[in-house]
Amino acid sequence: MNVMLFGPELYYLGTALVFFLLTLRRQPQVKADYQIALALGLGGLVVTTLCLCQQGELFFKAYRVDLFSQIFKFALALGFFLVLTISHNLAHIEERYHAEFFLFLTTTTIGMMMLVSSVELLTIYVSLELSSYSLYILVPLRRGDGIDVESGIKYLLIGAVSSGVMLFGLSYLFGAAHTTYLSEILPQMPQLVASPIGLLGLLLALAGFFFKLSVFPFHFWAPDVYQSATNQVTAFIATASKAAAVALLLRLAALGAGYGYSFAQALVFLSIVSMTLGNLVAIVQKDFKRLLAYSSIAHAGYFLMGILTMKEAGYVAAVYYALAYLVMNFTVFMVISEVAKDGRDLKIQELAGLYRRSPLLSLSLIVGLFALAGVPPSIGFTGKLLLFTSAMSQGYFWLVLIGAVNGTISLYYYLRVIYASYFTDDPSLGPVTISTPIRVLNYALIAIVLGFGVFPDRIVELAKAAVKTVL
Amino acid sequence: MTEHAATFPVLSCMLLAPLTGLVILLLLKENQKFLIRAVSLVSGGVSLALSIYTFVAYDKALGGLQFVEKFEMVKTFGITYFVGVEGLNAPMLLLTGIVIFTGVLTMWELEVRTKEFFIWILALVTGVFGVFMSYDMFMFFLFYEIAVVPMYILILIWGSTRKEYAAMKLTLYLMAGSGLIIPGILLLYASSGLGTFNMLALHGAHFSPWVQKVAFVLLFFGFGVLAAVWPFHTWSPVGHVAAPTAVSMLHAGVLMKLGSFAILRVAMFLCPEGFQYWAQLMSLLATVGIVYGVFVGLAQTDLKYVIGYSSVSHMGIVCLGLSTGTIDGINGSVFQMFAHGIMTALFFSSVGYIYDRTHTRDIHELGGFSKIMPVASAFFITAALCGAGVPGMASFWAELLVFIATVKVYPVQGLLAIAALVVGALFALRVVQSTFFNAPNPKFTHFEDVSPFLGLPRMILIATLVFFGFFPQAMVGMIKTAVVPFLQGM
Repeated sequence: MNVMLFGPELYYLGTALVFFLLTLRRQPQVKADYQIALALGLGGLVVTTLCLCQQGELFFKAYRVDLFSQIFKFALALGFFLVLTISHNLAHIEERYHAEFFLFLTTTTIGMMMLVSSVELLTIYVSLELSSYSLYILVPLRRGDGIDVESGIKYLLIGAVSSGVMLFGLSYLFGAAHTTYLSEILPQMPQLVASPIGLLGLLLALAGFFFKLSVFPFHFWAPDVYQSATNQVTAFIATASKAAAVALLLRLAALGAGYGYSFAQALVFLSIVSMTLGNLVAIVQKDFKRLLAYSSIAHAGYFLMGILTMKEAGYVAAVYYALAYLVMNFTVFMVISEVAKDGRDLKIQELAGLYRRSPLLSLSLIVGLFALAGVPPSIGFTGKLLLFTSAMSQGYFWLVLIGAVNGTISLYYYLRVIYASYFTDDPSLGPVTISTPIRVLNYALIAIVLGFGVFPDRIVELAKAAVKTVL
Repeated sequence: MTEHAATFPVLSCMLLAPLTGLVILLLLKENQKFLIRAVSLVSGGVSLALSIYTFVAYDKALGGLQFVEKFEMVKTFGITYFVGVEGLNAPMLLLTGIVIFTGVLTMWELEVRTKEFFIWILALVTGVFGVFMSYDMFMFFLFYEIAVVPMYILILIWGSTRKEYAAMKLTLYLMAGSGLIIPGILLLYASSGLGTFNMLALHGAHFSPWVQKVAFVLLFFGFGVLAAVWPFHTWSPVGHVAAPTAVSMLHAGVLMKLGSFAILRVAMFLCPEGFQYWAQLMSLLATVGIVYGVFVGLAQTDLKYVIGYSSVSHMGIVCLGLSTGTIDGINGSVFQMFAHGIMTALFFSSVGYIYDRTHTRDIHELGGFSKIMPVASAFFITAALCGAGVPGMASFWAELLVFIATVKVYPVQGLLAIAALVVGALFALRVVQSTFFNAPNPKFTHFEDVSPFLGLPRMILIATLVFFGFFPQAMVGMIKTAVVPFLQGM
């Protein structure tokens, strides 16, 4: 076995062991731990980059390493590293738990990395649970009032229900196809999708990922969890975790490609409800993270738009948008965690006068939000338009029309945030100081969001090469 | 359409000039005010020089698309950076160049958050230039959005009179328009089956009548919002009133033209049958807009509202010309876009100057303003005369062409519009009379008149109006090189 094939996973397993050892310290050494974490995160980025072009199969063909999986592993490593960069003050987590925070962040990353490579039903399930359970612990890790526990339990319960539903769906697929390998289920799909058992099985099997992506009707956890988890954990859930969910949805939905009219129609329905619901409810939110939670529900609808086309163009657009979403959403979360240095939940009105308190952060905020709203020249605009293009090419005129109208609605609440940060002022709020690394990070994120928005060809070609192995 | 590649990337330079200025501004400090203004002026000046160059150097005998530059942006989706100049967009590029240059000069005295202001203005202008020169639908739309969005911030920070309401209304209206445009262009892209956004290539794809009808109506209303087509005009007077001077100039002068230009360039060009089907409706809405704008304008007492409603009416003339689908009509329309752009810029520029000093735009409060500031008043009066369609000014010829075409094609609408214009002339004279020739308001007697330097931008605008008023052939001949093949292609 070529070690490089399993390289990223092994590396992060090693990282997890290091963090485990760190948790055993009697006296927590926060500063040192953070520096170790940062170095390891950077190392992970290097390892995943080196393993980008690996190809092969492992573990009795239950595990496939190809460009598709490796791109998403890189994205996960990037998300992991980015979240670490804003974890320099975990104000709401007790000091003795800081090492545990890093440990569980690593294990959830490992779970997601295994997820994007799994091509066998049971492996998919086990990896999904590994990543989910770590998150179940991370969410209530925040010190504070009852709401954290409440949302932790909510997250656990909805997660458990959705994975139960998913298992049920998987059992249908297994019962009908007599195999758990995706590659062997695929040829049998034409007959299966036509029958209720296959269609139902596939839809239920997707439930676990609908939960991760917060697609309607598995979205109820998102607002509470976003609000009550620490900013860093929320950032991770909102970025890396979404990318992994998109990857798996692409893999599984490919099973229904080209056969099931009703399968695509079901996804169209979910997409429309998700984006409309998310956007409309976001309008009335006062807490910034809650607003972003509803925006993530709306974005889940956009992702489905690319997935339900079941064609190369749609898959390319979805992969592009998943990567774009990771960067632009993180940009916004970075601003949140820098402005709310004490780890509190940020109300929108607490952004008042940000242009004066920190011009750079307010610029990042504007770039990030405009990208989420799909305003050019940003990766968000290009990605969204590519998604719309691919959906329209498959004849989903009404879906695109509704999506475009939704874009307008979403701009309203993003503008409200920009309004608060640029046009209201509160003299009692002092300036926000940011360290030099964060300053560099700001510039880098802005450059990525704008640069790849205008010149997306590199990423699109990469995504195109990647999805070839999935479809 | 024949394409002639550029020997030197003039258009890219025109696009990069404001962008470069923007990047330099980012590096400057807020208190280096003179440098900030100078950099903005130079980058605006470079664009202006290049736009004059393309206008003059365009080979009318050769025709077709000149100064073409092309490179593939996204192969998989068929997105190309494809820019060029022809008779239709050369006047628009020139207009943009003139308005940005004079706009920067007009805002010379701005002291509040100067750096940010010019950054956003230059971003907006980059978008405008991009729209006018792009022949790829994707890039066209990308630039279109870039041009529209900075308005929100520009109005909110530097605006006046109900600016929060106006900014949000304007942005949501325009974005709702985009919500129609996206399905429109994607429908054309998808049903062509060519997998390209190149508009010249798409022109060759024979869309089914049904697709054309649906796409045209989506694009017409989508872009029509920006062109202030009645009944989607209500954002425009409010927005113009709230916006700071240079932004009003750019917005009424150039941005609204993006809408009508896009209707011509994308909707009519790609969906000729759809256009035939909806042309009647277009002409009706345009006529209602003309009449409505004039009469609502009559009742206003705020100078900027007066101009705002007169814009609605003048943009109606542009749409009316387009709806005829004849050589004269389109010729007049494009000419009117240019003339109205310069004229409105002059209007807002002179009102801005008066408002900055007196802090009022109330017609009755200003009273006999020409006795206090004869030169500043003269600028406004010239613009008003131009708006009334006095011969010797550019818009006279433009309106004449449109009306000749309209009376032939839609006699009823044509006569109604002409009648409204007569009332409009009356109303311009009334405004001029009560603003400038009554008894002067003693509150304002201590103000000094415009200095030559601050008057410069208005002089440039007046010179342009008069030049094309006396030599309309310079413009009409240019536009004609494109309109004839355009209509043959339909």
